[in-house]
Amino acid sequence: MSGLDWGVLVGTIAFIVLYGVWKTRKTQHMTGYLRADNTERWWMMGLSIMATQASAITFLSTPGQAFDDGMRFIQFYFGLPLAMVVLSITAIPIYYRLKVYTAYEYLESRFDLKTRSLAALLFLVQRGLSTGITIYAPAIILSAILGWNLTATILFIGVVVTFYTVVGGTKAVSQTQRLQMAVMLGGMLVAAVVVVRLLPDGVGFAEAMTVAGKAGKLNLVDLSFNPNDRYNLWSGLIGGFFLSLSYFGTDQSQVGRYLGGETIAQSRLGLLMNGLVKVPMQFLILLVGVLVFVFYQFYQPPLYFNQQHAANVLASAEAPAWQSLEAQSQEVFQQKKAASLAVVEAEQRGDEQAKEQAAQAMQQAEAQRKALRQEAQELVKKHNQGTDLKDTDYVFLTFVTQQLPQGLIGLLLAVVLCAAMGSTASAFNSLASTTVVDVYKRSLRKNASDDHYVAASRWFTVGWGAVSILFALFASQLENLIQAVNILGSLFYGTILGVFIAAFYFKRLAANAVFWAAVGTQFLIFLLYFTTNIAYLWYNLIGVVLVVGIGYGLRAVLPRQA
Amino acid sequence: MTKGDIDPPPFFKSWTAMYWLVIGVLAALIGLFYLLTVLYR
Repeated sequence: MSGLDWGVLVGTIAFIVLYGVWKTRKTQHMTGYLRADNTERWWMMGLSIMATQASAITFLSTPGQAFDDGMRFIQFYFGLPLAMVVLSITAIPIYYRLKVYTAYEYLESRFDLKTRSLAALLFLVQRGLSTGITIYAPAIILSAILGWNLTATILFIGVVVTFYTVVGGTKAVSQTQRLQMAVMLGGMLVAAVVVVRLLPDGVGFAEAMTVAGKAGKLNLVDLSFNPNDRYNLWSGLIGGFFLSLSYFGTDQSQVGRYLGGETIAQSRLGLLMNGLVKVPMQFLILLVGVLVFVFYQFYQPPLYFNQQHAANVLASAEAPAWQSLEAQSQEVFQQKKAASLAVVEAEQRGDEQAKEQAAQAMQQAEAQRKALRQEAQELVKKHNQGTDLKDTDYVFLTFVTQQLPQGLIGLLLAVVLCAAMGSTASAFNSLASTTVVDVYKRSLRKNASDDHYVAASRWFTVGWGAVSILFALFASQLENLIQAVNILGSLFYGTILGVFIAAFYFKRLAANAVFWAAVGTQFLIFLLYFTTNIAYLWYNLIGVVLVVGIGYGLRAVLPRQA
Repeated sequence: MTKGDIDPPPFFKSWTAMYWLVIGVLAALIGLFYLLTVLYR
């Protein structure tokens, strides 16, 4: 990395952190620390909500996913705007009426303490474990591509985020996130423009879209209904709707963002802004990935994007096999490049028949490339036991570091670090607020002063920061555990949402029935996960149906509560 | 409830209109994406 890149990267991160700390240095009361004094404007909350969801992996994995699998992942977000509308109508007025600090407080007023504690506990377990991965995942990729020290990268992200979240609480999270979001959106827009400019002469955006389309990458909408298929219109609209309801309506890392609004109207507008902007934003990120794919139709890509894994194979006895695969890959690339250029020329001549023929040749070459990559992956698997073998996460950053001009590399790395810091800050803040409000203040130390709870919030932020950093530091030895944590975390959402849906809409359901229904639902969801192939998005809907269904069943047999 | 609950959103007479805007934009985007999928297939 050049001095200019370091300057852009360090300057951007330092400015954002110092600005956040300076603006929020006087935060002293609970309302200020956990609800930003209810001074947030809608656009600040909208940016904060988006920055919370957009982790570093969003900017590393998503372009890689488009590179490999096309743009069909966009369908995952189709249910989100609908969920924003429903939450604006239902959840926000309830949370404001009760003046809650966390979503789980509401459950005690509607049901009882044990239901509130169960939901808070599920959140703390799920978010507490996943926050370590939010730090670890980008750190491992940055260290592999840039040669940064993994431990130093994890410590840098974790300590800096803990520092400004401790100082300013929710306000600091929000102040920094709006700047981080500006860097992220600006950086990706610049990346999209630069990729197109790097394409060969005569290949512009229109031609790039044609090549991407013929390669099957513009598969944005799939109307077929298949419950085992992760991404289609229906799983996106229905499964994505329930996932978004759960994430934005019951996950404190998001609820905490819009509880700081000046008024109900401001909070509603913040959520609706997310509903309007999120799908186009994801489209932009996926489009960058597709444009990178088109770039590598004309310029030789590496056989395998994770160079550390490739180096391990090259250092083994199977180096000749690897070199043979690389040589074959170069031949296939030449065929693919010729076919891609033929597609572009046919498109410019308006010769549909020639375009289809060239497209077929391009698709055949792409199939050969995939087969070679599959063989390469088998070799990598043999010599990199126990590590994550998905190299698509490395595609975008490899492109950035090898192809972009000086200065822009620093900007795009700032995008990744801003995303990591924004989502981690929300997580620390929400973990601390849930621990203080739903556990410490409610059950352990009930009548202390406001200053005491602010101090406790700061200490719990430090504590959760330390837990997450430690988890991230040890994650490299627990690669398989990370997968398990990611999957298990997503399996809790359906149950939590079921409890909230029962609270909001099923007035006849009482505390005991809902509590035991939630416990039973969580057990059944784990059972379904281990015995069926249902795509994970559907577990949100299944969780809601089970909690409400079992709740009504138990209502008939359990004694009525007063 | 705060006063904000009865405030209309900016540029719109009612919240219902605002909600329909969000749903309408989503429908338009899905339509556009479907068109792109079919046109570039």
